[in-house]
Amino acid sequence: MLLATRLALASPRITARGIEASEFAVEAERHGVRAVPAIVVDGRYAWAGSVPEAVFVERLLGAA
Amino acid sequence: MSAALPILGDHEQSTIRDAFAALERDVAVTLELGPSAAPVTLLAAGGRELDTNAATRAIVEAVCALGRLQQAGTTSAGDRPRDSHEGIVRLAVLEHEEAGPWPRTTIAGPTGVGLLYLGMPAGYELATLVGAIIEAGRAEPGLSVATLDRVTELDRDVAIDVFVTPT
Repeated sequence: MLLATRLALASPRITARGIEASEFAVEAERHGVRAVPAIVVDGRYAWAGSVPEAVFVERLLGAA
Repeated sequence: MSAALPILGDHEQSTIRDAFAALERDVAVTLELGPSAAPVTLLAAGGRELDTNAATRAIVEAVCALGRLQQAGTTSAGDRPRDSHEGIVRLAVLEHEEAGPWPRTTIAGPTGVGLLYLGMPAGYELATLVGAIIEAGRAEPGLSVATLDRVTELDRDVAIDVFVTPT
């Protein structure tokens, strides 16, 4: 979450939302979230789990 | 989130107060409350039904009070704070009558919105709230030069959603 926040602050092109999965269970289900943290990029499930900054950015730009 | 229990322990309060004292820029925190579009029943320890609006308000107000707090009047979430270097945390609370994705907490620095958080920032997610305020209050981005170079190249919008739980 911290990385997503940093990226959103660094670029006007990036937005970051944190979503509490049990309160927003319908949205979590819609994206196929089974484990947290789960990353959804542009409305599509991307990956689950924490990764280093460089890997996060590579995956993010690859998924976008 | 009982009123009889402190939201933050003494050690947590001290740690957060020290971190907020080091904020280099103003931060705007906007808390939006209202009826949920898709109600769910959450139970606190002990089996009580949890009012997530009230609990979120208590958490956000308790956290923001550990900074140089100013209550702010605002009409929309995501208003940026002025670009001062006083490190003030400006908290605004908006109450909606219509159903929506509430509670929602928006944290913005002078460069823009860092985080929209949907739900109650309790448990592990308390660190998300505190961390977002610290990041928004930084003078320089907390990212490597390589990452900044990559995001500067972006020629399209990218929306990141991170699904989390408090435990």
